[in-house]
Amino acid sequence: MATKEKEKELIKRLQDAIINYKVADAKQIAEEAVAVGADAYTVTMEGLAGGMEVVSEKFDSHEYFVPETLLCAKALYAALDVLKPHIKLQAGGARGQVVLGVMQGDVHDLGKNIIKAIFEASGWTVHDLGRDVPLQRFVEEQLKTDSDIVMLSAMMTTSMVGIKKLIPMIKEKNPKVKIMIGGAPITEKTVEEYGADITADNAPNALKEAMKMLETLRKGRAA
Amino acid sequence: MDHTIIFQPSGRRGLVPEGTTILDASRKLGVDIEAVCGELIVCGKCRVKIMEGKFQKEDITSSMNHLSSLDEKEKKVLKRKDAEEHVRLACCTKIYGDVLVFVPEASRTGKQVGSKAAGKIKVRLKPAVRKYYVELPEPNLDDPLGDFERIEKVLYGNNPKMKKLSIDYRALQKLPDILRKSDWKITVTVWNDAEIIRIEPGKVETNIGLAVDIGTTSVAGYLTDLTTGDVIVTESMMNPQVRYGEDVMSRISYCMFNEETGLKELQDTIIEGLNTIAKQATHKAGLSTDDISEMTLVCNTAMHHILLGINPEYMGVAPFTPALHHSVDIKAERFGIHILPAGNIHVLPIEAGFVGADNVGCLIADKPHKRKEMTLLIDIGTNGELVLGNRDKLISCSCATGPALEGAQIEFGMRAAPGAIERVKIDPETLEPAYKVIGSNRWSDGETNMQAKGICGSAIIDVIAEMFRARILKKNGQINHDLTSKRIRKNDKGLSEYVLAWKHETAIDADIVVNQKDVRAIQLAKGALYSGCLIMLRKLGIKKFDRLAIAGAFGSHIDKVAAMVIGMFPDCDLKKVEYIGNAAGDGARIALLSTDERKEANVIAREVEYVELALEEDFNDRFGEAMQFPHMFDEFPHLEGILPKETQTVS
Repeated sequence: MATKEKEKELIKRLQDAIINYKVADAKQIAEEAVAVGADAYTVTMEGLAGGMEVVSEKFDSHEYFVPETLLCAKALYAALDVLKPHIKLQAGGARGQVVLGVMQGDVHDLGKNIIKAIFEASGWTVHDLGRDVPLQRFVEEQLKTDSDIVMLSAMMTTSMVGIKKLIPMIKEKNPKVKIMIGGAPITEKTVEEYGADITADNAPNALKEAMKMLETLRKGRAA
Repeated sequence: MDHTIIFQPSGRRGLVPEGTTILDASRKLGVDIEAVCGELIVCGKCRVKIMEGKFQKEDITSSMNHLSSLDEKEKKVLKRKDAEEHVRLACCTKIYGDVLVFVPEASRTGKQVGSKAAGKIKVRLKPAVRKYYVELPEPNLDDPLGDFERIEKVLYGNNPKMKKLSIDYRALQKLPDILRKSDWKITVTVWNDAEIIRIEPGKVETNIGLAVDIGTTSVAGYLTDLTTGDVIVTESMMNPQVRYGEDVMSRISYCMFNEETGLKELQDTIIEGLNTIAKQATHKAGLSTDDISEMTLVCNTAMHHILLGINPEYMGVAPFTPALHHSVDIKAERFGIHILPAGNIHVLPIEAGFVGADNVGCLIADKPHKRKEMTLLIDIGTNGELVLGNRDKLISCSCATGPALEGAQIEFGMRAAPGAIERVKIDPETLEPAYKVIGSNRWSDGETNMQAKGICGSAIIDVIAEMFRARILKKNGQINHDLTSKRIRKNDKGLSEYVLAWKHETAIDADIVVNQKDVRAIQLAKGALYSGCLIMLRKLGIKKFDRLAIAGAFGSHIDKVAAMVIGMFPDCDLKKVEYIGNAAGDGARIALLSTDERKEANVIAREVEYVELALEEDFNDRFGEAMQFPHMFDEFPHLEGILPKETQTVS
């Protein structure tokens, strides 16, 4: 077992590696954490998610843009790949589950990939269906995994249209599931018109909104 | 309460207080509308069209009901002007809800500059349409042969290719009268050695065609003498479809959202535009529209489908399959295009869903497939298309640059019209800018009122390059607040910006700034182009190209150094950068003048291998790296001494 101090130091270094997108460092620090027996879950949540949180803030304040975020995500995955097999699921530890994919007819998956990184970093289980995903696949995957949220991405107005068809298909099978949509052409008005639950203009906001929705869902279940 | 108003085709939008007149709103937003009578509801010059309906892309529901009601005075003026439905006078119409306003060409002051001038072309004249003067032997009872067969006999006698001649029925209807009235001396117009499309009395030598380049934003027509190849009149206008959406995708989705009527509306709109061009061009040349014997057209694939009335939905989504690749020949009258009714409309072939006939036009104009040296051809329009290769192989791709490089989606972006800032320099020591405005030759000094209204595309690239050179922008695009200048500041929403022109220098009663979001939009656009170039080079297994050809009306106005400083394309010897002008339009003219070139166009359109960038495994990474200035890693030896020093080393 690593001492609390050692663990703290590793977490801090891991955060820095992610924020400064040092891919090799991130991987090496994660390996060190495993070697000294630090708790993989804590290191992931505080080191990786904590790092990505700072990245999100930097994105919000326009200090970082897409290139930096992509690199940070790379560093994140380098560390996550090492840590993941060592994470012991704690009771109630796992956050929610999402089904994620890019709409049929659309192959632009940059935004989706950033979402995936940020969600995985903060402990969500992400069922990534990839890009150009047939509508029915979303419905099937949601039913199969009983995911809390379905997240749909569209970068073109032409592929966005499919969302309108898809939402009733999902809600018909499972009226409780929440739908989040995002991508360049999507606005608040699209949400309203297509009957989605919410949109977010960037990945950090998407995470914040997802957390809120999950809370509501769980409260609903407990009641 | 404030309402959103959007002006097309300029794309300017903003919030105005309830009760503002459309004219006042236009002034506030730097949109030019003629108002000769001084808002007395007399001249009727300020007519604008109010768009009705939901506009997905603009995120607005526009309606005539969002305006003050018509009074008698306005009604009278509109009636005098034969105004269509949905037309109002900007000077007296007040805003009580969101509206999308289209300002027609005639109501605009300040004509667009930087029109699509015709370039020099080399072509062996072999037009599809030829005129033949014939004197026929008069029939008599011994020789009662029909009129058409009488012509056929003479023409076939002179040219064995015209063995299977036919005649358009309109020409046929006029034939007997014309022959007899003109003493059996006539001029016959023959298309493709196959069909008589016009009969004129006496000897006529003028043989005219119209080559048209339909761009997403503007349309240019070249009225051309088919006997000499010379351009007689160049006529250009904004693409009137702009009011349905600024880019191709939003127009396709308009067709999808309005299943019953959308496609027809868009088709009618562009046909009306073509008719205006044909009418104005022939009028200037002292001819009639019937004198246009043939029209050739280049346009991107979406414009192509909409023009032909083909549902563009399927080419708008992956796998982006077009309805056909091959060129199309259709009679003008079937379209309602007003040239000679029997005249042919030739639409050039297309390469792929997002590389259209306009790109084929560029190819037959620049002929990279005939050259030994490796050419990288960049056609910068509302979409960016790239072609790379030489006589051995050509590949093409499309980059989703969006209209940012042309000044759209930029806070103070505007089209190249009087009042637009067109050139920018920034002193790296003082961080003070100097700029030039279209319509004036002097550089700004920070004091004089330059009557500036906004920034056009060429200046956007200039200003970003200069901001980077002066370190106002960091390599990653962030506005640098470590520098001290009153021009670098944050707006009331906390967004960083650089003041290019103070309020007292402008005609819009506001500072003209470049903000962080503008920089991001340019980063996305130029990153798309640069990463496209890289992936294409890799596809051909080469490290560099021998020649960079920049096409597009807008491309010709770009400063090549500034373009390389921001990293629109990889490092190369600046001497090898060539502006080839509106090559798409030149291609349309070449096709108009040569049937051999039409054949070649069909061959080359199928030979170019289309690369779908987004499918490349590492596209997102390459795209991301290319968003930095000039690039995250790549070196730019040809910019030594021009780039700020520390950016030459990789961090």
